[in-house]
Amino acid sequence: MDATIEARDLRKRYGRTVAVDRLSFTVAAGQVTGFVGPNGAGKSTTMRMVLGLDAPDGGTALVGGRPYAALRTPLRELGALLDAGAIHPSRRARDHLLWMAHSNGLPRSRVDTVLEMVGLGPAAGRRGGALSLGMRQRLGIAGALLGDPPVLMFDEPVNGLDPEGIHWMRGLLRRLAAEGRAVFVSSHLMGELEGSADHLIVIGRGRLIADTSVRELIAAVSGDQVMLRTVRRSEAMTVLANAGATVAATDRETVTVRGLPADRIAALLAERELPFTELAPHRASLEEAYMELTRDSVEFSAPAGSPR
Amino acid sequence: MTRTAPSAPAYRSSVGTARDGFVQILRSEWTKVRSVRSTVWCALAAIGLTVLVSLLTSASSTTDANSGPAFVDQFTFVHQRMDGDGTFVVHVASQRDSQEWAKAGIMIKENLTGGSPYAAVMVTPRHGVRMQAGFTTDVAGSGAGAPRWLMLTRSGATIAGYESADGTTWHHAGTVQLPGLPRTAELGMFVTSPNGLRVTKTSGGVSTSGYATVGTAAFDHVSVQPAVPQQLRGWTGQTVTDDGAPPTGGPATGTFTEADGAFTVTGTGDIAGYGIPSFQAGDDDIVANSLSGVQLGLLAVVALGVLAATAEYRTGMVRTTFAASPRRRRVLVAKGVVVGGVVFLAGLVASLVALFAAQPELRHNGFRPPAYPSPSLADPTVLRAVVGTALVLAVLAVFSLGVGLVLRRSARAIVLVIALVLVPQIVAAFVPSLSVQMWIDRLTPVAGLAIQHTRPRFDYAIGPWAGFAVLCAYAAAAMAAAMWLVRRRDA
Repeated sequence: MDATIEARDLRKRYGRTVAVDRLSFTVAAGQVTGFVGPNGAGKSTTMRMVLGLDAPDGGTALVGGRPYAALRTPLRELGALLDAGAIHPSRRARDHLLWMAHSNGLPRSRVDTVLEMVGLGPAAGRRGGALSLGMRQRLGIAGALLGDPPVLMFDEPVNGLDPEGIHWMRGLLRRLAAEGRAVFVSSHLMGELEGSADHLIVIGRGRLIADTSVRELIAAVSGDQVMLRTVRRSEAMTVLANAGATVAATDRETVTVRGLPADRIAALLAERELPFTELAPHRASLEEAYMELTRDSVEFSAPAGSPR
Repeated sequence: MTRTAPSAPAYRSSVGTARDGFVQILRSEWTKVRSVRSTVWCALAAIGLTVLVSLLTSASSTTDANSGPAFVDQFTFVHQRMDGDGTFVVHVASQRDSQEWAKAGIMIKENLTGGSPYAAVMVTPRHGVRMQAGFTTDVAGSGAGAPRWLMLTRSGATIAGYESADGTTWHHAGTVQLPGLPRTAELGMFVTSPNGLRVTKTSGGVSTSGYATVGTAAFDHVSVQPAVPQQLRGWTGQTVTDDGAPPTGGPATGTFTEADGAFTVTGTGDIAGYGIPSFQAGDDDIVANSLSGVQLGLLAVVALGVLAATAEYRTGMVRTTFAASPRRRRVLVAKGVVVGGVVFLAGLVASLVALFAAQPELRHNGFRPPAYPSPSLADPTVLRAVVGTALVLAVLAVFSLGVGLVLRRSARAIVLVIALVLVPQIVAAFVPSLSVQMWIDRLTPVAGLAIQHTRPRFDYAIGPWAGFAVLCAYAAAAMAAAMWLVRRRDA
């Protein structure tokens, strides 16, 4: 079967706190699946259960149809970056990858290959403590790529990256998915996944909130919204509101209009001789979509202090 | 839930060769250990501390063991002359257990002067029948004590000793040569008993003192073949001493009584020299002393073992480890093998360097042959001490690793191991009771250091291998707990 991650009815509690609550989803091959939720929503716990590191209290997690613990050479099946800081401060970057490679009997040449892939070649001899956060993220990605696995799982890989690094990460995620791999990326900021995720799994307080493709979500949220730019903003808003539209000022000269098609808006404005410089169907950002999606969800008032 | 998976072909890993054997895990763990500076530093510190402390110890200890006499010859002798070859038989009816090396038996001696050549067969309370001669030769016979039949035969310079349970069936105990033994020599029964050792433990340390013991034995069925005219003179008792002076610290002379051919003899002293086990010229264990630096060097080994476990938990790298190798217990075993192996090699370097670096200073301070023969690796007990020291450090490292895996915090684990290993020793030093010290030496992980012992000593609490087994039990318990927990706990 296709290499995927499948979670079925996963449950995990720590003491009295429920970290993951009957969570089910599938991560498909050939696309980037974003795993989104606020800090403490249970993303990292879910990933640890997928890797067999934490034992679920209920349900199962499968990688390519099998429990992770049953994999013989797991680095060839699933590459994971959980915590970029999880490297020994006095071990050189190359040695960190070397022990990982040895553990699965991977050829030594893979170490240099993945170091080049993530652009860490020149820093290969540096010790863990001397690597910047961005370099550690790259080292973690390199470790995940060691076995050239068909499934990749990154926990908050963009965290701490500079804009250049974020751009690089976006390209890498797209590239890995385009090669036919299943790429599962968590983030607590939806915006970080803008332009890279094809599919979203949104959770809050350990529960599934949405499992949807990004295209459908944007389309649904964008819906009938129209973006209007005019220097006479307040008059325009009054006119459109009186005509039955829902209007919201988004800037000094821009208004988002809902409930009226664009041609009707144009006609109304022309009637009152209100000039406008731009009138276009609005395409919602992922961040907006996220807000829309979770507007009614009390789960998102969850305090950030719940355990991860 | 709708799904719009693009129609990409299933991705296959391009890495064809992969293996998940134990060898791969070993290599992985070895790479971890060798690529971290703290491991290297700990190993070097273990070697450095061991050698340094051993050198300091040897520089600060001196002995005058070689300035004393090379033999003692002090006993009660009930004797008569014998001309030429012959056979002498007695039955030792009883012997009092006055000291483990008390001696009662029969002897041919050149003359009555202390230090003159002799050959003797005897019983002892705890070390069986012995054939001894010339203050250097000791041949162990059977393990039997009194009552026992003993026989000496002389044929020229060849003296043979025999023993028997019933006076009928004889077993050869040993044969020695006494070249230059005159035709007429002294023949007789003898009794002696070496000093006992009184050990006093104070909060400042241990002091020892000797005290005289009196040996007593009863002889009967005395017969000399051939019977010679001189025999008519009968038996004469005499206390033989090294220098003609009466023995010190005990009764002025031994005694003997005779009634109906049965003799009761008492005596004090010893007949011994280098080569005779009861000879107490110097009782220091210079091999163990030369290796005593490991008591400090082991601190670095504890740190190495603990850190090999806790460094992974501190950084969270243990998740990467168990994600790469989901069969966790195998990882633990591999860690134990690698940590134990690395420490064994470092320990071997430490013990070899410490032993031989300490010798010139020890020799300079009086620890010389014959009282203190130079240690040689050809001697199995010395080899056991040297290799055993490395083994002890290796097993201690595995114990520390196990504790580190269970507790997962460096500070807690190091404190616990040090508390088990060192604190009882320090506390015991202040307790004025030798038995407390002995039980600590038997029950705490330092029992393993008994493997360094190369000679018997009053303050050695446990045998070399038994002590090592105690340490191994600690390591096995810690690793077993770690194995049990690692499957149950979330990583």
